[in-house]
Amino acid sequence: MAQIPNLENAPLNLKSIREKSQRELVNLLKDIRGTKCLVIDPKLSGSVSLIIQTSTLKELGLELRHLSEEPVQTECTKVVYLVRSQLSFMKHIASHIQNDISKAIQRDYYVYFVPRRSVACEKILEQEKVHNLVTVKEFPLYMVPLDEDVISFELELSEKDCLVDGDVSSLWHVAKAIHELEFSFGVIPKVRAKGKGSVRVADILNRMQVEEPVNTNDVGRPEVDTLILLDREVDMVTPMCTQLTYEGLLNEFLHISNGAVEVDSSVMGSQQEGKKMKVPLNSSIFDAWNRNCDFLGLDKHTVVDKLFKETRDLNFEVVVQVLRQKATTMKEDYTEINSVRLFCRSLPLGSLVFAVEVMTQTVSELKDFVKKLNSLPEMTRHIHLAQHLTTFTSKQSFLSQLDMEQTLVEAESYDICFEYIEELIHKQEPLTKVLRLLVLFSITNSGTELLHSYGFEHVNVLNNLEKAGLLKKQEFKSNWQTVKRTLKLIVEDTDTSRPVDIAYVYSGYAPLSIRLVQQAIHSGWRPIEDILKLLPGPHLETKRSGFPSSPSVDSLHGASNGVADGRRSVVLVVFIGGVTFAEISALRFLASKEGVAYDLIIATTKIINGATLIETFMDKQG
Amino acid sequence: MANVSVAAEWQLLYNRYYRKPEIYQMRWKHVDLSRNKVACASFGGPIAVIRDDSKIVQLYAESALRKLRIFNSAGVLLSETVWKHPGGRLIGMSWSDDQTLISIVQDGTIYRYNIHAELIQPNVTMGKECFEQNVVECVFWGNGVVCLTEGGQLFCISDFKTMKPYKLADVPGLTEDDMLQPTCLAVREPQYTMSGNVEVLVAVGHEIYVVDEDEAQSIRFDEPSGEDSEMQNDDYGNLIGPVQKMIVSPNGKFLTLFTHDGRVVVVGMESKQIAIDYSCESALPPQQMAWCGMDSVLLYWDEDLMMVGPLGDPVHYFYDEPVILIPECDGVRILSNTSLEFLQRVPDSTESIFKIGSTSPAALLYDALDHFDRRSAKADENLRLIRSSLSEAVESCIDAAGHEFDVTRQRALLRAASYGQAFSSNFQRDRVQETCRTLRVLNAVRDPDIGIPLSIQQYKLLTPVVLISRLINAHSHLLALRISEYLGMNKEVVIMHWACAKITASASTPDAHLLEILLDKLQLCKGISYAAVATHADNCGRRKLAAMLVEHEPRSTKQVPLLLSIGEEDTALVKATESGDTDLVYLVIFHIWQKRPPLEFFAMIQGRVLARDLFVAYARCHKQEFLKDFFLSTGQIHEVAFLLWKESWDMGKNPMASKGSPLHGPRIKLMEKASNLFSQTKEHTFESKAAEEHAKLLRIQHELEASTKQAIFVDSSINDTIRTCIVLRNNRAAAKVKSEFKVSDKRWYWLKTFALATIKDWEALEKFSKEKRPPTGFRPFVEACIDADEKAEALKYIPKLSDLVERGEAYARIGMAKEAADAAAQANDGGELLERFRKTFSQNAIFDTLKMPFQGVS
Repeated sequence: MAQIPNLENAPLNLKSIREKSQRELVNLLKDIRGTKCLVIDPKLSGSVSLIIQTSTLKELGLELRHLSEEPVQTECTKVVYLVRSQLSFMKHIASHIQNDISKAIQRDYYVYFVPRRSVACEKILEQEKVHNLVTVKEFPLYMVPLDEDVISFELELSEKDCLVDGDVSSLWHVAKAIHELEFSFGVIPKVRAKGKGSVRVADILNRMQVEEPVNTNDVGRPEVDTLILLDREVDMVTPMCTQLTYEGLLNEFLHISNGAVEVDSSVMGSQQEGKKMKVPLNSSIFDAWNRNCDFLGLDKHTVVDKLFKETRDLNFEVVVQVLRQKATTMKEDYTEINSVRLFCRSLPLGSLVFAVEVMTQTVSELKDFVKKLNSLPEMTRHIHLAQHLTTFTSKQSFLSQLDMEQTLVEAESYDICFEYIEELIHKQEPLTKVLRLLVLFSITNSGTELLHSYGFEHVNVLNNLEKAGLLKKQEFKSNWQTVKRTLKLIVEDTDTSRPVDIAYVYSGYAPLSIRLVQQAIHSGWRPIEDILKLLPGPHLETKRSGFPSSPSVDSLHGASNGVADGRRSVVLVVFIGGVTFAEISALRFLASKEGVAYDLIIATTKIINGATLIETFMDKQG
Repeated sequence: MANVSVAAEWQLLYNRYYRKPEIYQMRWKHVDLSRNKVACASFGGPIAVIRDDSKIVQLYAESALRKLRIFNSAGVLLSETVWKHPGGRLIGMSWSDDQTLISIVQDGTIYRYNIHAELIQPNVTMGKECFEQNVVECVFWGNGVVCLTEGGQLFCISDFKTMKPYKLADVPGLTEDDMLQPTCLAVREPQYTMSGNVEVLVAVGHEIYVVDEDEAQSIRFDEPSGEDSEMQNDDYGNLIGPVQKMIVSPNGKFLTLFTHDGRVVVVGMESKQIAIDYSCESALPPQQMAWCGMDSVLLYWDEDLMMVGPLGDPVHYFYDEPVILIPECDGVRILSNTSLEFLQRVPDSTESIFKIGSTSPAALLYDALDHFDRRSAKADENLRLIRSSLSEAVESCIDAAGHEFDVTRQRALLRAASYGQAFSSNFQRDRVQETCRTLRVLNAVRDPDIGIPLSIQQYKLLTPVVLISRLINAHSHLLALRISEYLGMNKEVVIMHWACAKITASASTPDAHLLEILLDKLQLCKGISYAAVATHADNCGRRKLAAMLVEHEPRSTKQVPLLLSIGEEDTALVKATESGDTDLVYLVIFHIWQKRPPLEFFAMIQGRVLARDLFVAYARCHKQEFLKDFFLSTGQIHEVAFLLWKESWDMGKNPMASKGSPLHGPRIKLMEKASNLFSQTKEHTFESKAAEEHAKLLRIQHELEASTKQAIFVDSSINDTIRTCIVLRNNRAAAKVKSEFKVSDKRWYWLKTFALATIKDWEALEKFSKEKRPPTGFRPFVEACIDADEKAEALKYIPKLSDLVERGEAYARIGMAKEAADAAAQANDGGELLERFRKTFSQNAIFDTLKMPFQGVS
């Protein structure tokens, strides 16, 4: 099943970036002759599957394995490790090799670091006395396009590394990735950054431009006009709230991973109980449809899940309505052709089309019909998924949690919240859920029996969260009230079906992060400087020099600029520490508003939600 | 006509004209080539001269010590040094492609000099056999050399960069039994052979052998095609040998032989066909033999230089002084004591213009300019005559100008070209410009002070890049810089080399002053590597200057390693941190870690946040004991405590350790130690208590496991322990754990209700509910029953819920819509609640109806 995202309509040529990565990987692997065993670290294999088909890899004569402590079982004499430069992997690799040596198995070992070699990792290989046995190379994969407008740097641990361990490697990585983008699309002239990490990234980016300049003559006029960098730390409230968009909810409950969700097959209406199946979201190439493509000479590759594209950013309440509407129209279409359907019920789909043709329909009508038929699987798929989601959303506990989040965000009556959280602990609800609320509680207000319920090993989590400033032991005055009021984060009476404000994604709460982006684009940050000072970390607004004078104006006000030459300007919004689907939806909403003259590209260290973010803070003990 | 004088100097060899313009009057004084060994580099390179110690020469007013002198092609002295090497006579001396002077003495030692007559260390030897047997002859090519020993063995260095000598196969007849001496040697360069390895041609007796590393094969040549058909193939080889002299053509395809009976024979190496066979008047072998480009072969005896072509009578030139032939790709330079000449075939374009009586378009164009200058109307007439082939004429003039050494004539030809160009519509106009540019460069390097007499063809083959590198090697930096600028090439190479040379040469200039001088020039070139210059400064023993220079390096990846190598660890750490590249910071950390004692290392990184954090991250993964030392030495006791706690945890996780003896002893000890350490700081009382409780819990769990004989307690949480107890119906144990850890009543109620629901002990649950009024209300009971899907049980407790909203919701959850609605109606905000119930109940129904028609399709 295709997992590679469709990038046809991207405002930037992201496809070229992906193709470059593909080529680099294939060339690296082709360098080693003969059959070989490719051992990928599991997280990385997800990222790699977004840029290259597994079948393509297999064509290169590869056996695929996931890296773990266990020795690699293979007949191949060449073992290629494709790993991110993480210290813990080195021990695995070293132990594999030592294991082979003890069994007198002779193999060639290759370690390909993603995105680059690391002194610390190689040091470990050295100390384990295997460094001279391996060939070390690098696969410079700094980013993976997830969607037409979303790029991920695949740094899931970025937030924890920076805040808890003080390991800011990810900042360099982010700057490097942006610099790579600049090599393709030109030096971005305007930079706005908020948060310690963001300002640092802007600084490193400037250094890189000095050290390894993008030749402005080669690239021409920059395609990206503005770069907005935001630390997750600036807005920890938003990810802790439950996302209420369709895609956001899917992620909250079913965990979208690499563009697909995994559900029990009974959810999708299959008869086989208890079997897990993967449901892709962004792209869908179904066998039945492909056969029809061949039959009618349509282009296979343009198949995108249009229905999902339409609904993903909507508030889930609305999605249900939309699905109902669509289904009803379709049902009517169905009745129209019901006679045909009855007639050839037993025929496979291909012959069905043929049969319809026999019944004297014109070809164009036929194609229309097939197109509708094509949307049928999508229709059923999303109805199944939506229904599955409602089983969660209709639960009392879910509703009261939303209530609680709302109360916390509005920063009213803490006692209820505290009691509620306490009860969750008593019930031993999942720890991440509790911590999410606790963090929310701590940020919006001021900061147990936690360890008793969940075990003492979690003392580290608390310690980590405290180091990251997410939990605070002492009473201290929160700025949340002021921030909330000034930036109008609580929007009363939002009509989720006809939204006028980004607040629809959280049914009434406008994500702080996106408000900041909105401000940055529309009027710059100067008017809200006071508020910015209340949020963690410094901020920065600069213009970078060294371009042939570009006609851009100071701010991206209205339609006056960018469209002058018929081209919309592009704003790159980078989230350091992760972004949620709901926030992405909110940004898309901003860009889609009438009279807006810019496209948004969102780049993030990782797509997150409250739970996954908190999980990164949980040290895996032992 | 004015052109006559030009062609008058040409000589005709069969149907081809040759010319031999004088390029320089040699500037040197008292150099007699016949007294000296001389090595001349091709491509107009330098000339090395040293008194020949194999000849008896009379010493005039000079030292008995021999001097190696290096001149440029115009005879300007570049450098000199006294030669006092041991190892016997100098056997061979030649310039390599990168203009290193390679000289080999009798015992096989190789001394290398640069163009500044500085000895390049280390000296290399050709090997033990050469040392023992003595080298008698050597043949060089651009990048290698073959030596012949007295014992008749051949040794070869095929790459001057690696300088690795190896032995070639033995040649039959040269072995010790026969004691034959080869009459001559020649080399086919690796780039022209099939195998890619060097091939040595050795003439022994009547045979010629091709020798490489593996074998020696004798070669035979075919008879010349045509009349001499009575001769047998086999005999012909014998007729050629013994060969007295041989050379390989510049492209490696032909071999010229001078036979015992005074014949010059040229044969194809692959085809074995004979192309030229000319009998000379004397059988005395020539002193020198050389190819003139690919056109003809030159043979030199005292005072007589003879040029043989494929057809026709040879041309003779006479000299009253000794000469040296320097083969080039397109001709031969002839060096004498007084002058340097360049013998080449007259290029076609030049011939078409200057040949006597030529009426070619180019000749007419050149003539037209002459008329035009003299304001004669004939100019127009000429132009009209050649209108149709004007562009061809312009092209010829440009080409001819390029081949000219004489600046006046270059100018005349270029003027003719641009004159013609004005009347020609379809000519590429930048050709004139391009040639002008090339000629300016050529004229500049041909200046006697520089002394590189390149022809345009040589220049194109050499490439401007190599020319620049030769100029900077000769320390003509300014000219190299100008040329780079003029040709739009990267100036970095030149400036970099200059800077390094400047540092070497300015040993006595103070650092600050020298830095100023260097920076002044280094700033000319953006992106230049200051680190490379600094490295050089460091190698020259000027560490302080290096540190000052590296400060200016913008690329931290180059700057940091260098700072480390010059011992500037602090600065390296600062720079690495500033760069944001954590990999560089690690590089510095490991460097210091390795070099300094631990305490010093700790002190160094303690103050540097990023370095410290990275070290901790690394050590956490790989060097935990060392990390403990670090935390202890820096007073971070609580961090040590965390480590101990984690250690105790790891011990439990490790399946290897859990076999055998009960581990709770050491684990508990670690936890207690951790708790102790935590308690030393005020801020960690929470952790201290937690660790203490953890230890206590573990102890209790072990006791429980022992008493129940079930290994299911260790490492579960307090809640889970209590739950397990209840599930095992061990209420006493549960109560004990509860009291030990002061579990609150509320928590106890939630815990116990759910635990009882898990084992479906509804009776006990009901009993529990009646023990006293639950501090949590009846919600835990309701939820536990609903979760277990026991409506009947739930109904026992729902009515007891005091909150009406809660009650309504509970009814709704077990599907009792009416009761739910009733409860909702009683509640205050009943309307909203009712609405929500309606929604939940209806929504599922909607999906079901929607799904129906599609089921068969997907």
